Amino acid sequence: MSDDIKADKVMDLKGLPCPMPVVKISKGIKEVAVGQVVEAVTSDPGALADFPAWAKTSGNEIMKTEQEGKITRFFIRRVK
Amino acid sequence: MDDTTRDELLRLFESKLKRAAKLYLETCSRCGVCVSACHVYASMPQAKYIAAYRAEIVRRIYKRYFTKKGRFWKSLGESKELSELALSELYEAAYSCTGCRRCMVFCPFGIDTQLIMSIAKLLLIGAHAEPEILSLLADTSVAKGESLEIFREGFLESIKTLENEVVERWRVEAGQTPIPVDQKGADLLYVALAGAHSIVPAAVVFNAAKENWTLSFFEAVNFGAFVGDPVKTRQILDRIVNEARRLGVKEVVICECGTAFRVMKSMAKNEPFKVSSITEVHARYIREGRIKLRKNTLEGTVTYHDPCQLARNGGVMDEPRFILRALTDDFAEMSPDPVMNWCCGGGGGLVAMGEDTLDFRMKSASVKADQVKKTGAKILATACENCHTQLSNLNDHYQMGVDVRFLSSMVADALE
Amino acid sequence: MDKISYIILVPMVYAAFAVLVLGVSARLVAILRTPRELQTPIYPASGAPYLRALYDSFLMPQVRRHAPVLWVFLMAFHACLLLLLIGHLELVAQMPWEKAFPHQIFLGKGFVGLILAVSLLFFLFRRFSSPVRDLSVPEDYYLLILLFLTVIFGAEMDWARNWYGYGEMGVDQYRQYLTSLVTFHPALPYEVTSAGHRFMLVLHVFFANLFLMVLPFSKIMHAFLALPVNKLRRG
Repeated sequence: MSDDIKADKVMDLKGLPCPMPVVKISKGIKEVAVGQVVEAVTSDPGALADFPAWAKTSGNEIMKTEQEGKITRFFIRRVK
Repeated sequence: MDDTTRDELLRLFESKLKRAAKLYLETCSRCGVCVSACHVYASMPQAKYIAAYRAEIVRRIYKRYFTKKGRFWKSLGESKELSELALSELYEAAYSCTGCRRCMVFCPFGIDTQLIMSIAKLLLIGAHAEPEILSLLADTSVAKGESLEIFREGFLESIKTLENEVVERWRVEAGQTPIPVDQKGADLLYVALAGAHSIVPAAVVFNAAKENWTLSFFEAVNFGAFVGDPVKTRQILDRIVNEARRLGVKEVVICECGTAFRVMKSMAKNEPFKVSSITEVHARYIREGRIKLRKNTLEGTVTYHDPCQLARNGGVMDEPRFILRALTDDFAEMSPDPVMNWCCGGGGGLVAMGEDTLDFRMKSASVKADQVKKTGAKILATACENCHTQLSNLNDHYQMGVDVRFLSSMVADALE
Repeated sequence: MDKISYIILVPMVYAAFAVLVLGVSARLVAILRTPRELQTPIYPASGAPYLRALYDSFLMPQVRRHAPVLWVFLMAFHACLLLLLIGHLELVAQMPWEKAFPHQIFLGKGFVGLILAVSLLFFLFRRFSSPVRDLSVPEDYYLLILLFLTVIFGAEMDWARNWYGYGEMGVDQYRQYLTSLVTFHPALPYEVTSAGHRFMLVLHVFFANLFLMVLPFSKIMHAFLALPVNKLRRG
């Protein structure tokens, strides 16, 4: 867990079939209020590559990316 | 619906009226031979799920606006105004069709219902009434193509973390990269999906076959095709085509994703590289003796589900059977003819729409579940991510008691 | 009455053929001039797509496999239609093959018409029950009824001669009439205007004219489109 950013919702998106990581984060972000933060955890290279483009497309903000070993955590703030 | 919107939608309709579309819209005699073709109708016998009925929803609008007969004598062919109601009918027709084209095999004229449904899908996009998630997925793919730099480093780092897994399963020569990315001079570009499960087993087999390969930055799947947007389909495809050209590869190999394979195979015909599915490549390695497999290590009967876009619409039918015969002596066909195999019920973007379509996907594919159960198989192999997800859902829902497996990972597991 | 008969038997026939030829040509040109799009065949792709398309179009293996009863009627119907087409050609003029293969004009001794009529009734009744009823539109019924009317009056003339020895109006008179039409010197033989069965001829020609005039704008265009559309499936 990150010390400086507190997530309002944590989503485990490891090992999901295509295209569930993006589908689930799209749904998940709508379940928090604007301004709140979702922490998405993934271990799939492709999913990891998808998130920045997804954030750009859907108009949300990736505040921080932590990569440690196989696991990558995205802290995404709902913008709209 | 106001006139401006309608005119705009009719312009989109017209843009789809190329030769095949016109032939399909003009020729149907509503003979009803396609009644038994659709898995949705076979599972839920309602007229709206008959292939010709779906097509007629689009055809009625075609008659109304693009034929004199339908303009002047509306009742003759029941031609129909393009209205909000018509849009909701188009939605139901297009998004209950998986685009498997089984009906095209039944039709005495060979009418392609999927192509007619692609008109419906384009109209829905024009009216902003398409499934939002499919457009978002397509836009995400397009955005990835435009800005490789925003994920490049993270992707490469994450690939590095998978290399141990690959090496554990197949030792590589000193100095060799277990998962090469962005490798100029490679013979083969492998295009995977988001999940590590579509990269690791494939890498293991490539290395075992001593292939000079490289992994693509992009995912194979084409969401533009799912949502029926020809412009985005092209943009998403071009990311990979350009990468292949830049690296100068001789062959582009698509992972176990039916749609990706069909789109690439049919749209990249005139490129300087060959397009293959990973299933074809694995069969080739076995045939050429480049990999050896341990036989009969699988427990129980194995059966194989033909992904529609790979088999009927992609021509890969013999190869998976060849691979399975190299893996087991206990193989049972679920359909006497691969061309006639039932769709899993998850195509056309339905699986990508996730839980929203789950109930429909389960109900509309009961024939598939019955077909699998009848084989008595313990292992259900397939070669498409989309089918794999849907079959796994069916397995839970209908308690089929099978182990749903990717063919490529079965090959990787059996390497000698 | 004579005036109406004349209009049906002469000007309307010309009009019908004009609409047929111009209509079908215009429709075919419009479709074949449209640019092609990408189209994936059904695999395994055939090495000889044209041959496969011919096979699909003329023998309908898909229908044989999935709807065998319908297939029997469809094959019977279309084969008889072909025989009738030959029969009508032979009414226009002596055909070269007549000498090589001497036969009575209109093969089948009346049974060709009977088979057509029965097939049409089968197609019609089939459309009254689900699920084909759910797919059908009014055009489908109108066309079958129109064809049935054309066939029944045409066949009755044949049956009268074959089965009841009716001799007042026969091949010679029809030939005289049709030859006059194709040489653009229309003349109606005495028998054609006065024989007791002339109403059958007039009605037959009337419905046939109607049918020919709607053909280019109806699904009967499948007669011309079956081959190119089937070719798409075979690559």
